[in-house]
Amino acid sequence: MIFLLLASLLALIALGVPIAYSLGVSVLLYVSLTDPQLILVLPLRLFAGFDSYALMSLPLFILMGQVMNSAQITSRLIDFSMLVAGRFRSGLALVNVLASMLFGGISGSSASDTASIGSVLIPEMERRGYRKEVAAGITVASSTMGMVIPPSIPMVLYAVVAQQSVGKLFLGGVFPGIMVGLLQMALVRLLVQGGSEKAPERVTLASAANRTLRSLPVLLMPVVVVGSVVFGIATATESAALGVFYAGVAGFALTRALRIRTFWECLRSTTLTSAKIMIVIALSQAYIWVLALERVPEAIAGFVVDLGLGATGTLLLVDVIILAAGTVIDVSPAILLLTPVFAPALQDLGVSPILFGVLLVTGLAVGACTPPVGTCLNVCAAVAGLDIGRIFRGAAPFLAANAATLALTTVFPEIALWLPERLMP
Amino acid sequence: MQGFERRLTAVLETALAAGMLGILLIIVVLVAMRYLFHSGMVGANEIATVAFVYLSSIGSAVAVGRQEHISVDVLPRKLDRRRAKVLRAGSLILVGLLNAVIVACCFRWILTTGHTPMPTSQIPRYMAQASIPLGCGIAVFYCCVQLSALLREEPGA
Repeated sequence: MIFLLLASLLALIALGVPIAYSLGVSVLLYVSLTDPQLILVLPLRLFAGFDSYALMSLPLFILMGQVMNSAQITSRLIDFSMLVAGRFRSGLALVNVLASMLFGGISGSSASDTASIGSVLIPEMERRGYRKEVAAGITVASSTMGMVIPPSIPMVLYAVVAQQSVGKLFLGGVFPGIMVGLLQMALVRLLVQGGSEKAPERVTLASAANRTLRSLPVLLMPVVVVGSVVFGIATATESAALGVFYAGVAGFALTRALRIRTFWECLRSTTLTSAKIMIVIALSQAYIWVLALERVPEAIAGFVVDLGLGATGTLLLVDVIILAAGTVIDVSPAILLLTPVFAPALQDLGVSPILFGVLLVTGLAVGACTPPVGTCLNVCAAVAGLDIGRIFRGAAPFLAANAATLALTTVFPEIALWLPERLMP
Repeated sequence: MQGFERRLTAVLETALAAGMLGILLIIVVLVAMRYLFHSGMVGANEIATVAFVYLSSIGSAVAVGRQEHISVDVLPRKLDRRRAKVLRAGSLILVGLLNAVIVACCFRWILTTGHTPMPTSQIPRYMAQASIPLGCGIAVFYCCVQLSALLREEPGA
């Protein structure tokens, strides 16, 4: 029966049935054949999947990113990044990575990072002599930080599924996220032959202070949002709502780019985006319930422990599985499917669930940049007008930074655990 | 039928956006009341959660109508038009069937447990539970409309 459950799911997903409904139909097939009475549990499982105060933070974080995006904060972030990195060789490529790092701290989403930064910087980089696939590749690869640097929407999802602290996961992503950024900057310096950069502009202290001050309200946002969760001022849901409020004030009063109409459009598109994730969550809960009936997590935990690889060896193996899964499944469903399968086994080996969450999100972020289902690749293809194969070839060298961070965090868990252990013991 | 479908989608999307705004306002007001007035609103969190259940349920139905659900479309993109159409029809039938089964199962579930009041707001539970048959029912409707449009499509279109 377990074979039928897994085979039907994989077959339906491969045939293009939406992932949420593939999960639901597999469950329906399973219960019809084993115990038809259990069909009555389906609406209950669906309702239980939706009925969560903690998950309400998900649409609110999505809304926060969309409002900030509509508030045209990108230009301020790029301006600030130019101030910091624009004067170096391959400056614009460095600016691209740095802007993504800052944007990641605001939007919590890699796809919006790709769209916002890419639409401004790819044409500009091309104009200054960078090869288009390199410009697009750097944009896509650096956007992965959006998922790792807090606030991060996939981290919220993992926190809810694994019943872990959102604050600890946010803090866990800080150093790995920064590490990805710094390694990508190093790779840019090593690999990118700069375009015809302009001569570095002379920046006076007064203009630097003025540009920093202009960007400060935007740069402070992640501090406000993450800080309110970490220091217990607000729950994750409340901090996300405060983040939307902050973004709204910034958009209406500060950048003055936000209009009632665009805010309404953000609300509309947020509900649809979050509903698409929520139905996957709800129906994956039903699928996981069936897996639990068949004792699959226990069997996998036993198998993993019997391998005798130890915690680090097992985690490295899991890293490879995460990277492979990320290439074929979107981030949210992958989190929902991999967490209940691996979390109990890793916990048996003494691996911190916070560490697993950080590794899971860091690994799946790479999947967002790899064909065939990479969301960021598709967004970038639309922005840059290139096919995804060429963009991936441009991004691949820089994704080495993500792989290195994943391996280093696996071998040295303190990279992810030091900050949460200090600030939220 | 498709004109009605478009109007329904527009109405639902407006209602969803309004619901999202409502949730946002409730939470912001709750935080403000807690820190500024050291008070709260009884049952407000529960009402926000019920609204969220409706948003998720109806939102996922609208996503069926807009064909925007997360899926892996590598294989369908590689197929010729006729085979891709067959796959699409199969997918719509499965999605519609699952939603129809859920709607059918809802009645017994709601009749059995729906009268229980919620812990703080004391709203009867069926008010929240009704979101499931409503959302799934709308999804079935969208599947039927799309299936009929797909079947009416000219072979070469």
